[in-house]
Amino acid sequence: MTAKKQVPIIEGLFTWPSDKPQLIASRCKKCGTVTFPKAAFCANPSCEKVRENVEQIKLSNKGKLWTWTVQQYAPPAPFRKEPLPFQPYAIGMVDTEEGLRVLGILTSNDNLKIGMTLEMTTGKLYEDAEKEYITWMWKPV
Amino acid sequence: MKKFRDVAIVGVGLHPWGVFPDRSMPEMAVEAISEALADAKMEWREIQSMVAGTYLWVSQREGMFGILSGTAISAAMGGIGIPITSCANACATGGAIFREAYLAVASGLYDTAIAVAADRSAGGFFRPQSQDPQFDLDYIRYVMTGETNPAYWAMECQRRMHDLGTTEDDLAMVKVITSKIAPLNPKTRYKKAFTKQQVLESPMVCAPLHLMEICATSDGAGAIIVCAADKAKKYTKKPVLVEAAVIGSPTFGDHTIPLTYLSAYPRPGVGILTESRNAIAAAYKMSGRKPEDIDVIELPDNSSWHYFAYLDCMLQAKDGEAEKLLRSGKVDPIDGELPVCPSGGLGACGEAVVAQGLFQIYELVKQLRGEAGERQVKNNPKVALAQTYGYAGNNAACILSKAW
Ligand SMILES: [Zn+2]
Repeated sequence: MTAKKQVPIIEGLFTWPSDKPQLIASRCKKCGTVTFPKAAFCANPSCEKVRENVEQIKLSNKGKLWTWTVQQYAPPAPFRKEPLPFQPYAIGMVDTEEGLRVLGILTSNDNLKIGMTLEMTTGKLYEDAEKEYITWMWKPV
Repeated sequence: MKKFRDVAIVGVGLHPWGVFPDRSMPEMAVEAISEALADAKMEWREIQSMVAGTYLWVSQREGMFGILSGTAISAAMGGIGIPITSCANACATGGAIFREAYLAVASGLYDTAIAVAADRSAGGFFRPQSQDPQFDLDYIRYVMTGETNPAYWAMECQRRMHDLGTTEDDLAMVKVITSKIAPLNPKTRYKKAFTKQQVLESPMVCAPLHLMEICATSDGAGAIIVCAADKAKKYTKKPVLVEAAVIGSPTFGDHTIPLTYLSAYPRPGVGILTESRNAIAAAYKMSGRKPEDIDVIELPDNSSWHYFAYLDCMLQAKDGEAEKLLRSGKVDPIDGELPVCPSGGLGACGEAVVAQGLFQIYELVKQLRGEAGERQVKNNPKVALAQTYGYAGNNAACILSKAW
C-alpha cells in the first residue's frame, strides 16, 4: 500500500512539503514585531502601516510550553480529527525563540509540564480516499 | 474626560434564561422590553433612541433577525421612527449597548434611550461561521487546532494554578458558592445547588475544568431603559445613577492569546486580560470610585477560572487575591461583606451571549433597589459594579449607584 499524499488542510501556514517544517510568520523590518499567521501590516501601534515594511520569515521550530489542556470532547465541525471514535488530545500555548506565543495541538497527552521543551512537527488530522490532511503540532522532546 | 449630564436607569426587564425553541429573538426581546416599560411606567412611544445587541451565530439561526436585530425588534414592537443601531461586541455586547444608550442620553441628544438584546445560544460549543481559509482567523484557528472556548479557559486556568497555586478545591468551590443562589432566582436557567463532591465528580471537559465548572449556553433577552437623571423621578421613585459605562479592548503585547487568534507577542510591562483591565480602570476613573467603594459585584463566571481572574481584575487586587476572598466567605453572594454574583452568575443562568451584560445590570438594579427577594444581599448596597468580557478582546464594565 502506497502512502497517501499529505497536504495541509489550509495552505500557507507552514512550509510544506518539507523535511523540517516551519511556521510561516511575518516580521516588521522597522521594529521587529513578529506575527503569526503572517499579517499585511505591523501590529505594533507605534509603527508605520506600510505593506513593504513586512517580510515573511520562518519561525524556529523550538519552543517552551506556556500552558496546556486536554480536550476531552469532540469539538463540532468544521474541526475534524481521527481516529474515530474521538480520542482526547492535548492543546498548548508554546513560546517560540522569537518571543511569539503560538497555539497548537500537542502530539502527546502524557507527562505535560509547563516549561518543557517542544519541537514543531506535523501530524494527521484526518484522511480521505486520496489524501491525508495535516496541521502543525508541538512534540515534547 | 469631559463630564456629560447625569443619566439614570429607570426601567429593567428580563425574559427568563433557558431553552425556548418555539420563540424567536424579537419575541423574547418584546417581552423584556414590555417588562422594562412597565417597570418605568413608560409608554413605548416615549423611547427616543435604541441600540440592540447583534446575535453572533447568524448563519445558524434566524438569519437576518440576528444581523439586524434592532430593526427586527422595533418592527415587533411597532415602529415609532426612532434611531436604531445594532452592535456586536461578542459576549461584551450587553454592556457595550448599555454604554451606547447611556451616551445617547448623557450627550444631551435624547432624554430617553433603551438597550435591548436577545440571544438564542442554547446549542452547545460555539464554532466559526465562515469557511474562509485566507482571512478568517477564527476559522483558521479552529480548523488547525480545534481549540474550543473551554479549552482556552482551561489553558488559562492551568497557568493560573501554576503561577498562583489555585487548587482543584478552589475551582470546585466557585460552583458550590455561586450555585447556592440558583434555586432562588426565577430568571435563571438552572435551579440546582451543588456540593463540592458533585462538582469534582462531574465529567472533565478540558483539564483542569469539569463540566460543572463551565457555564452552559442559553437563550434569553434583556432590556434596560435610561433617562436624563433630572427627569427620572417622573418614572420611578428609585432611579439608579449610571456612574460609569465603558468598554475596553486589548493593549498590544498582552501576554495572553485572545480567543480567535493563533498567537500573541507578550511584551514586558503589559499584563494579561488587558481588555478587561483597561475597561475596569476606565470605569473607576469615570466614576471617581475605588474598589473599596463597591458593595456588590456581578462578574462573568463562564468558568471557575473566570471567577478568580476577573475578581482580581475588578478589584484591581494582587493576582491570587480572589482565591483568598472566596475561601474567607467575604464574597458570599448573599451574606458576604462584598457579595459577588447574587444572581447566581453565569453558572446558574447559562450564557445568552449578547444579552448577558443586561442580565448583570438587571440584577444590580434589583439589588440596589432592595427588590431581589430571597436573594437580596444583606449589606444594604449603595454602589454596584458589573463587567463582562467577550471573544476576540472585548470588555464592558459599569458602575451604578443609588440616586435616591
Ligand atoms: Zn513595526
